[in-house]
Amino acid sequence: MSKTIDPITLQVIGGALHAIAEQMGNVLYRMSYSSIIRESQDLGAGLFDLDYNTLCESDSTPMHIGSIPGYMRGIEKSIPKSDWHEGDVVIHNHPYYGASHSPDIGIVMPIFYHGELVGFSANTAHHLDIGAATPGLIIDVPDVFAEGMLLNGLKLFEAGKRNDTLWRYISGNTRVPGLVMRDLEAQIASAELGVKRYCELMDTYGRDTVEQAAKQLMDYSETMLRREIAKIPDGDYTAEGFMDDDGRTRGVRLPIKVTVRVRGDDVEVDLTGSSPQVPTAFNVPFEGSTKVACYFAFRALLLDTYTHQEYIPQNEGSFRPVKVTAPLGSIFNPIAPAACEARFNQIQRVVDLIIKALAPVLPDKCTAGNAACLSFASYSGLRDNGDYWVLIEVNEAAMGARPASDGPDTIEELMRNTRNNPLEDLGMHLPMICDRYEIRDDVFPGAGEYRGGMGVVKSQRFLTPGFMTHESDRNEDTPWGIFGGHEGATAIVRIENATSGQPPRDVDAKFSGMRAELGDVVTYLSPCGGGYGHPLNRDPAKVLDDLLDGYITPDHARDVYGVVFQPVKNGYGWGLDHAATEALRARMRAA
Amino acid sequence: MIRVGVDVGGTFTDLVLEQVEAGGKQRVFTHKVSSTIADQSIAVVQGVVELCAIAGVQPGQIDALFHGTTVATNIVIERNGAEVGMITTRGFRDILHMGRHKRPHNFSLQFDVPWQSAPLIKRRNRIVVDERILPPTGRVETALALDQVEQAAELFAERGLDAVMIGFLYSFLNPDHEMKAAEVVRRVLPNAFVCASSEVVNTIREYERFSTAAMNAYIGPKVARYLDNLKRRLAEAGVNAYVRIMQSNGGVTTVEQASRNPVGLLLSGPAGGVIGGRWTGEACDQREIITIDIGGTSADISVIRGGELTIKNPRDTEVAHMPVLVPMIDIDAIGAGGGSIAYVDSGGAFRVGPKSAGAEPGPACYGRGGTQPTVTDAQVVLGRLDAEHFLGGGLHIDPALSEQAIRVHLAEPLGLSVKDAALGVLRIINNNMALAIASNSVARGIDPRNYSLMAFGGAGPLHGVALGQMIAAKNVISPLHPGITAAMGLLVTEPRYEFTQSSLTILQSGSDADFATVNAVFDRLQAEAAAQLAADGIAPEGQRFERIAECRYVGQGFELRVAVPDGPFTAATAQEMARRFFAVHRTEYGHAFEDQAVQMVTLRVIGSSRSDTLRLPVLDKGGRRNPSEAALYARPTTFDDGETIQTPRFDRLKLRAQDTVAGPAVIVQQNSTTIVPPGFVATVMKLGDLVIARASQEG
Repeated sequence: MSKTIDPITLQVIGGALHAIAEQMGNVLYRMSYSSIIRESQDLGAGLFDLDYNTLCESDSTPMHIGSIPGYMRGIEKSIPKSDWHEGDVVIHNHPYYGASHSPDIGIVMPIFYHGELVGFSANTAHHLDIGAATPGLIIDVPDVFAEGMLLNGLKLFEAGKRNDTLWRYISGNTRVPGLVMRDLEAQIASAELGVKRYCELMDTYGRDTVEQAAKQLMDYSETMLRREIAKIPDGDYTAEGFMDDDGRTRGVRLPIKVTVRVRGDDVEVDLTGSSPQVPTAFNVPFEGSTKVACYFAFRALLLDTYTHQEYIPQNEGSFRPVKVTAPLGSIFNPIAPAACEARFNQIQRVVDLIIKALAPVLPDKCTAGNAACLSFASYSGLRDNGDYWVLIEVNEAAMGARPASDGPDTIEELMRNTRNNPLEDLGMHLPMICDRYEIRDDVFPGAGEYRGGMGVVKSQRFLTPGFMTHESDRNEDTPWGIFGGHEGATAIVRIENATSGQPPRDVDAKFSGMRAELGDVVTYLSPCGGGYGHPLNRDPAKVLDDLLDGYITPDHARDVYGVVFQPVKNGYGWGLDHAATEALRARMRAA
Repeated sequence: MIRVGVDVGGTFTDLVLEQVEAGGKQRVFTHKVSSTIADQSIAVVQGVVELCAIAGVQPGQIDALFHGTTVATNIVIERNGAEVGMITTRGFRDILHMGRHKRPHNFSLQFDVPWQSAPLIKRRNRIVVDERILPPTGRVETALALDQVEQAAELFAERGLDAVMIGFLYSFLNPDHEMKAAEVVRRVLPNAFVCASSEVVNTIREYERFSTAAMNAYIGPKVARYLDNLKRRLAEAGVNAYVRIMQSNGGVTTVEQASRNPVGLLLSGPAGGVIGGRWTGEACDQREIITIDIGGTSADISVIRGGELTIKNPRDTEVAHMPVLVPMIDIDAIGAGGGSIAYVDSGGAFRVGPKSAGAEPGPACYGRGGTQPTVTDAQVVLGRLDAEHFLGGGLHIDPALSEQAIRVHLAEPLGLSVKDAALGVLRIINNNMALAIASNSVARGIDPRNYSLMAFGGAGPLHGVALGQMIAAKNVISPLHPGITAAMGLLVTEPRYEFTQSSLTILQSGSDADFATVNAVFDRLQAEAAAQLAADGIAPEGQRFERIAECRYVGQGFELRVAVPDGPFTAATAQEMARRFFAVHRTEYGHAFEDQAVQMVTLRVIGSSRSDTLRLPVLDKGGRRNPSEAALYARPTTFDDGETIQTPRFDRLKLRAQDTVAGPAVIVQQNSTTIVPPGFVATVMKLGDLVIARASQEG
């Protein structure tokens, strides 16, 4: 029926779709109020066809990319396609109906073209507070109802008319209505823009051509990914790790097991063998999070946008070759009403373990062990007038070393890619002050031919009493080295009081609703990545750089890298002793 | 009065000389020489001397020389700036290393982090000292440890560093510690380039401020050396004109100021083009213009609204992936130009750019070893670029090589004819450019139907009409000298100095005390601007001041620029500012919330002065249609609809005012070719610019 679009028109429409998604994302984060959206850009936006296939998506945070179709499939359970009207705006965040997790609120608008439903314009954004048991973030809660407002496919606008009752309900059930309601406005503006631009595109090229082009673009992305999967030898590849605990039952580790089955140009990720679901919020919504993590892993590994020259459109095609299996009742596919808000650390580890499983057959595309975690800190308190202030902050970590380069330091890795909050901006309007924000200096980098990335150390001081919840992990399972590289370092969470002089104490990675006193300083030291390749193969000039830049000591360089320095008088103190280095390396290789 | 404009590009250095004689008689000469990459000032001076010979004047007669340079940008791109030392607050050594902690690629594991792999300041040279200033008042919690500053400076001296940057947290609230530290460093290192972050850009957000100051220090010594060389070579050549340097904000500055604050020169090169575009637009009675400067590897896009340049939102100004918070004309550069390579990727998709054949080896038709088809090759195959007029006939091109490249790399793999493949190359590259134009116009509430598209740069007028159609522009302008528009722009600039201070005030609820502070800040900034203009020899009556407040809704993270009304800042001013902010917000994002509190974040004063403007000779009136006096010959030429028509060529130098040339036609001149497709008519304006519109809109 539909005839193939010529390659030139295809490029033209592909470019236009990409531009629309970018504009939707830009409007959303620039108009928004809360720092988690406007600074961190914890959001996603795009256009979808009638079958909820992703036509295009903004290049924002990977976690959101690929999650929106799940929202729409969930919404269909309450709003069948026949019930959509022009000007509708639907709000949705139910994790058992496809949402990524409950704070990621989805806004969906139908696109009508000449009176006919042709697709959807939608976006998701992380909201600061949806009235959960503790401000901002939650961990130790009994069930999904304690996560706050559950909005299951509700029409916030019906045929262009706002449902003021629902609007007031939402406003009345968040601790920070001034931010949340304005952020919702930004989401609606972004979705409206998508509707408008998609109709304009159809005006220009005709509906049939646009829809056919969209299909071909999905096929193209699928082809590109399948071509790469086919290059991997068929087989089952397995890797295992563990999470510290579920945030309540201390000392009980949660196993994570990943099996990657490669068959021709198909791949399956099977999470069987991972922990059963847990009684806290430390579970992962299957549709909106578990699957999305697996899609991400293969795109990043096989269609790496840094090593691939071509832009491969972000659409449904890149999801199709990847099948995801997780037993019902497991941590990656919990049964309602288990809470499942705190899911990010687990999915980071899924991605990292997929990389580890495939590393032996993808040595040129993999990484050593990444920090693969998330320190998500919620600070809050009451102002004198009784209003809440809430800050959610993402602390970065580090990446493992790579086949041709060191692991990046202090960076957002894998599924996350937010921006930090400028310290000076926070200091101007929150009763907190940052005392330290630097590269960790209490451990050496994961040694290797290429070294692991160094993590961050960040200390935040409470200037009034308040509350804090910390969603984090990896205080115990060390990021691995690979192909002779050494392991990295685990995280540390430390609390002390600057006013009372109470000595520092190391605490669990996760805690919920901790009461903070004036002067409490919470310090997070993120994990550091593992090394790649044998340290004796590291270019001595790079070892010297690491010494001069304060990452290592002369003793460490000698013992681990076989590099010997000599004192020089140039203000830097040390230079390479090439002869001694060669001799030492020869001895160490022989040993 | 003799004024010279010199614009240095990657391949060519373009020059314009304007001479106005006592009786008002005026002559204009242009010239082009190959750029000297190692030291741009060699070609600048050579070009000036040659141009003087062409114009029959002595170098010593030149009164003023205006210069646009890519020196600063190249230092950043090539990463060959100074070894810089940094003194910063204890506990915050790595702000420049962490950036905003966002990685540059989402779907990548092997990505590079430019600010880590090629830092402006290495970690070994970032030294922390005790000092602490606290928000929100700027109160000192820990006094500055001057002895530690001194030790750091001595270490930098021992290391032989020639630039030092000082960046302390919250220095925008209280610059005292930075100033004291800078004083110590300047004493210990009297010959080094030293700057404090609050001196370079006095605004909130530590990473962005430090990055800007680090960039300033990184390029500082080399830019200063370049400007010294330039002055010396000019003096040696007998040129004793006063010299002004183009800044990123579209104004010119003195050599001394440019040496002190080189970070303002990062867009010195492309800025001239936009200014030239605005000026050409005025000559054509157009004040709403989208400019696109198409070169070999990239295209620069900018928008002129109501005759005003668009200045970039300071949150968006970055260079080489690093934030640089200085006022810049909003110029969006994309990887699309005459040298962009077309290819079929491994998945069978038809791609054009961003990879470019550059000047070496260049397009296949150059016969210099390039075998991959480029946009220029597509133009050649379609008969739009005649060999004898390419670069004025100065470069031999071989159409057979273009055809072969397109056949082998595109037509055969895609199962298309050579003609269709070549048309496809143009359609894709034009689409890439049109999308970029749209994201700079439609996406910001600008309706291209009210705008003229001005396409310049050597390749600009080849694409102009096609782009104009795609974006639905009102009409298309091909300037008189498309290849040297930027150099001409230099002769129509004005001095322009900007001073800023972050000062947070809520408009709707500000107190009289708040407004008194605002007035005090504005007065101080204006005094600084006035002092700078006076130092340039501009009398008070010639000085002009503009006041801008960068505003946001309380809680938002992005500011928008709002013009501040003249007169003292009162509660009434604040209300007016809020209204203006709503209007800007609505234009930018499509929405505004009129019940929300608006906050001024950064106050800015721009001091400027009107200066002489370039006057081109007015052409004799022709009023002819397809004048036979200008006709050259006809050749088969393929247009975008695929039709190949025997198409006449016209010599642009022989066209006169109010002549019209109806498409299909090709108008040739040295360095540039303007395509007028069937159904379009080009009208010659009074100075020789062409305005091209659909035949039905003619007259």
